[in-house]
Amino acid sequence: MEFEFDEDQRLLQQSVRETLAKTRALPEEELWATYTELGWLEAPPVELAIVLDELGYVADPTPFLATATWFAPLAGRLPAGSGAGVFDGAGRFVLDADRADEVALLTSKGVQVVSGAEIDAERIVAFDSRLHLAHVRADGHQLAAGVPDLALMGLAATTVGACRRILDLVVTHVKQRHQFGVPIGSFQAVKHKAADMYVAIERARVLAYFAALTIAEDDPRRRRAALMAKAAAGDCQQVVYRNGFQLFGAMGFTWENELHIYLKRALAGDLLLGSATVHKKALLALGAEAASATPGGTTPPNPPEKVTV
Amino acid sequence: MKLANDPEIEKFVADYLAFADEHMPTAEEASERPRSCSHMPDWARRWQRTLFDAGWLLPGNPPEYGGRNATLPQLLAQQEEMSRRGIYHSFNPQGVGIIAASILTFGTEEQKKKWAVPILRAEMTASLGMSEPGAGSDLAGLRTRAVLDGDHFVVNGQKVWTSGAHDADVLLTFVRTDPDAPKHKGISVLLIPTDTEGVVCRPFPSMTREDDIDFNEVFFTDARVPRENLIGELNKGWTVANGSLGHERTMLWIGYADQLQDLIRDAPSDSEWYATLQMDLQALRLLGYEQLSGGKNPATISMLKMFGSEAIQRATWHALEERGQEALIHPARTAPYNHMDHDAFSASWFERYSRSFPGTIAGGTSEIHRNIIAERILGLPR
Repeated sequence: MEFEFDEDQRLLQQSVRETLAKTRALPEEELWATYTELGWLEAPPVELAIVLDELGYVADPTPFLATATWFAPLAGRLPAGSGAGVFDGAGRFVLDADRADEVALLTSKGVQVVSGAEIDAERIVAFDSRLHLAHVRADGHQLAAGVPDLALMGLAATTVGACRRILDLVVTHVKQRHQFGVPIGSFQAVKHKAADMYVAIERARVLAYFAALTIAEDDPRRRRAALMAKAAAGDCQQVVYRNGFQLFGAMGFTWENELHIYLKRALAGDLLLGSATVHKKALLALGAEAASATPGGTTPPNPPEKVTV
Repeated sequence: MKLANDPEIEKFVADYLAFADEHMPTAEEASERPRSCSHMPDWARRWQRTLFDAGWLLPGNPPEYGGRNATLPQLLAQQEEMSRRGIYHSFNPQGVGIIAASILTFGTEEQKKKWAVPILRAEMTASLGMSEPGAGSDLAGLRTRAVLDGDHFVVNGQKVWTSGAHDADVLLTFVRTDPDAPKHKGISVLLIPTDTEGVVCRPFPSMTREDDIDFNEVFFTDARVPRENLIGELNKGWTVANGSLGHERTMLWIGYADQLQDLIRDAPSDSEWYATLQMDLQALRLLGYEQLSGGKNPATISMLKMFGSEAIQRATWHALEERGQEALIHPARTAPYNHMDHDAFSASWFERYSRSFPGTIAGGTSEIHRNIIAERILGLPR
């Protein structure tokens, strides 16, 4: 396999970064207009992961994630305007259901697309106040459960982006902050926490992109890869939230400092659709992918001394 | 990004496997087991020589050095297939992977013929003399002295942890040749035959079993080593150390991936750690591919080493712990016997867990690698 971005993907990543660096102060409607004009919603899975990774990095306030990865995989198309998807069988904690133009419902009779006005969506007040979450009542529809792989990948990529932002903020902070006459980033205890954040992010990042790639190629491993991606994003969040918050010191506990925006986005990304633990259990339920790894049929010349397997 | 390999890579691997199937020693032939990493029973020597002569030992090398000028993606695919099947090419891995590789990179044509080729053809085995009692993580603090006396170096000092030295024909030894230079600048590299007068190897067992004898202390007392055995330039030994070890490290993760794969096979569980293990393996492979595809900060190798070895340590701990009192039994076998693999990988859970610590200690401790990640990737101040 080739696990590196091609030239177009690298250029896309660069252009998404440049765009978001320029637009961060714009109101939501203008951000949304920019994203749609640039065609980001139409991006295929790997390219979509690139966009979502960067949107996580800026804790994007628009309904992009729900539209591209909750609505689209259910409806099989993009909505007119923004979209949301209900696929948990209960209509609980549905991303952007309170402001979607169209809502795709996974029901016992298949997917039904309704207009946002047709459902009763009550917004939940969440610790991430930029996040729109709603409990949905869709009278007359029998909701069914079935989380799309793309939705798992989407949350994973977004969470990775938020975690990358936290690490960048922390690195800048520990280089600038002096105590005992030296930057605190020169202390080994600080370095090791930062290094662990980096490794956790890298692990989650490659698993998110691998999930995107298996979805793009409709590979049989896509379910397993999507579960791994979501679980790894959760694992990553745990390390990055804990170490990042700790290394920032008291400043990170204030409302003025922007750190909390990304901490909240990362933690919400783990909890939404179920945490790392939930997805690891789902992975175990799929069974290990072990058959191909068993060494070929050689007979032992000497009997095993003692088997404790 | 794409999942499939190119057809030419698939063909390369198929050719290799056809060769391996035809020539690989049988379990009966391989009943004499290697007792250290420089001890090679005759069957292991024959196998390595057969691979060398056919250009499959190190396919990335030119034909005269055991290869066929293979590309990096081809090598990776072959290594993965070897790993999947538990096929070892050499039971003197540091001889082939580090010592011969260093001689091929830094040695003269004559040295390549005299030392590298015989090591690669398993006519001799080699061990690596780097660590000293006072020079572990701080390798550049090494004190074994070599003083030029006419056409010989006179070597005095001590090495430790020198794996396989008592079974090796030659030691690639890092020595201090300029005591006045800053510590990285006065180091040189000598090939020292173990039968040189004044070289004494004292093997000692590891904590796993009293009969597990691989480590050595090596003492040098006025050992006279011909000047022509200097590898690379005088006082430029640090370059050799970085070059040869770096070379080895780029593929080190494949061995870790192999062990993680074995753990998935050997310790099935319905606990959360078993899912973490599967994720660690997948992530390690992806990070490894990414690193080999180039363009990454070389310090990412530190991450692969640390992450892989720690993932093995976590998983072997859980495997051990889940077995409860049964895990007290030792020695034991916890995996299918595979004569082409290292026996340690199928040993008791106690031994597999304990052997994960050399993984997080040797070749740079996890603590050193975290420093490297923090300083060279994240740019934190020294």
